Amino acid sequence: MSGPILEVRDLHTQFYTDDGVVQAVNGVSFDLHEGESLGIVGESGCGKSMTALSIMGLVPEPGRVTGGQIRLRGQDLLRLRPEDMREVRGRDVAMIFQDPLSSLNPVLRNGFQIEEAMLAHKELPRRQALERAVGLLRKVRVPAPEARARDYPFQLSGGMRQRTMIAMGLANDPSVLIADEPTTALDVTVQAQILELLRDLNRELNTAIIMITHNLGVVAGLCSRVLVMYAGQIVEEGPVDEIFEHPQHPYTWALLRSVPRIDALRHDRLRSIEGLPPDLISPPSGCRFHPRCPFRIDRCFREEPPLERIAEGRLAACWVTMERAYAEMGAGQLVDVRPGAGSGVHGLQEERVG
Amino acid sequence: MATQQATVDQLIAAPVARAQVGLWTDAWRRLRRNRLALVSAAYLIALAATALVGIVYTPYPYAHQGVGLPYQGPSAAHLLGTDQAGRDILSRMIIGAQISLIVGLATQTVVVVVGVPLGLVAGYFKGWIDTALSFVISVFYGIPDILVAMILIVIIGKPGLGTIIVAIAATRWMDMARLTRGQTLSLREREFIEASRATGGRSTKILFGHLLPNALGPIIVQATLGIPAAILFEAFLSFLGLGVPPPTPSWGSMAADGIHAMRISPHIVLAPAIGLSITLMAFNFLGDGLRDALDPRQKR
Repeated sequence: MSGPILEVRDLHTQFYTDDGVVQAVNGVSFDLHEGESLGIVGESGCGKSMTALSIMGLVPEPGRVTGGQIRLRGQDLLRLRPEDMREVRGRDVAMIFQDPLSSLNPVLRNGFQIEEAMLAHKELPRRQALERAVGLLRKVRVPAPEARARDYPFQLSGGMRQRTMIAMGLANDPSVLIADEPTTALDVTVQAQILELLRDLNRELNTAIIMITHNLGVVAGLCSRVLVMYAGQIVEEGPVDEIFEHPQHPYTWALLRSVPRIDALRHDRLRSIEGLPPDLISPPSGCRFHPRCPFRIDRCFREEPPLERIAEGRLAACWVTMERAYAEMGAGQLVDVRPGAGSGVHGLQEERVG
Repeated sequence: MATQQATVDQLIAAPVARAQVGLWTDAWRRLRRNRLALVSAAYLIALAATALVGIVYTPYPYAHQGVGLPYQGPSAAHLLGTDQAGRDILSRMIIGAQISLIVGLATQTVVVVVGVPLGLVAGYFKGWIDTALSFVISVFYGIPDILVAMILIVIIGKPGLGTIIVAIAATRWMDMARLTRGQTLSLREREFIEASRATGGRSTKILFGHLLPNALGPIIVQATLGIPAAILFEAFLSFLGLGVPPPTPSWGSMAADGIHAMRISPHIVLAPAIGLSITLMAFNFLGDGLRDALDPRQKR
């Protein structure tokens, strides 16, 4: 495998509101390899969509990317002039949105909108563009693509609209496709079809996909690797099945426990995560999850845990997990030299993660 | 029996066919059911046709004095009578219709061409452009229309149709700019605008290719409803003697001509007044009909 196609390093995106500075994305770093499908999960407001919009250069007012790098094939997108960034959007990195009805222009024909996406980046005779648009609709498995290209968005079903959106996204053969909750607004059966389509496109076209979702089932079905975000930071990263079987961060664990399961026992309570997502204007001290964490130790109140490698291909940002991981690796205890730091071990013994 | 079957077929086919029409077809279908708007449209088409015919033919030369006796009421020779100078009122009405329609349409064209791009740009880019535009709009709203028009007519100093059109447009472009700005402000937050930005669309393309088509309904309605206002304003200016220079008749100056003889020959005032009223009503009914037809929330 070649090097990563997209490298995000220490990305910071902030919103300057009247109430203060909202740290929507706070030091996010990750790699995306060619043809990979990466999932970003987290609850509403954790910064996953803002990470995506930062990559697209479409952070809405009053937000701004305030630090870090976003390198696409080595080129830092944050340093591009607006016109060059416009060229990147849709050509190299495309994005599809949550609600396909409101993401399609209601007064323009579907085919025309796909053509527009193409013509934004290359000169093409209109006839040829239309042919390609119909071809794209066929590729995303829209039946009778010639007729559907002549329809208006409101004449299509939700699934067909999302397929049209995907066709728009693929119009210029992008190397990265960012899908922001692409199935949330759809019926469950249609969700499955769209996911299958994305998986096949990922394989056939070798388009790298970043799947942003709060739905862990979506990630399980599509992605090979997952980032778990909380309060603007990545708290855990790893291969999808390992994250599901052995979550290493308490937040991931809590998130998994709150997913309704059809095979659950009748009397099992569905556990929600206690407390509210943190205020991103003045985030909690230390680990941002500590107010809601059942496993917290003293250290969590005081120090922010770094995102550390805890096993092969696994990263987590949690003091408790790290202590244990270090112990298992035989690397000795993490030594906190500051006074009163030793008490953390008790918390570890009382409750185990996972 | 056969017709009955045909009706049944139509009924079955109707909802299916309805689902397949586009936005404009749909609006046209709704407009067609509005009888008042249709009658108005028919009247306006007839008026326009008459005005067109007036270019090559009027019953009498409109500027010729003494084609009949002055102050004559309607007769077979002069269907709408003659005015104080013995000119044929019908001929003058036809020429007046040309003036009114040209002023109405041309003014609104200027208003659309000026107001819509300004509103689009201000609403989309916000910032200082928007602040500047809003300021200028407020200033224009602050000065009485008639004052703006009079000052402009004096400044341009060359009486004529073009001057009138510019003067009236200067008092009416703000409504259009403000409407377009408001539409743009709400449309720019819609997801499909972000989606087209995400495909790398250029700003001009997004403004005129994606935003404008969505704002077109209200703009058309506003433009249509602005026509009678412009016509009325022109009549008003002409009534005051600030309008089209004589001998070219305008419905406003014709009314002014007859006002001194209101008691003995009311027809001189009534002809342009009634013509003006009916035309204004027709434009307003048509505008209302268009608004109902183009408003997606009023699907019937």
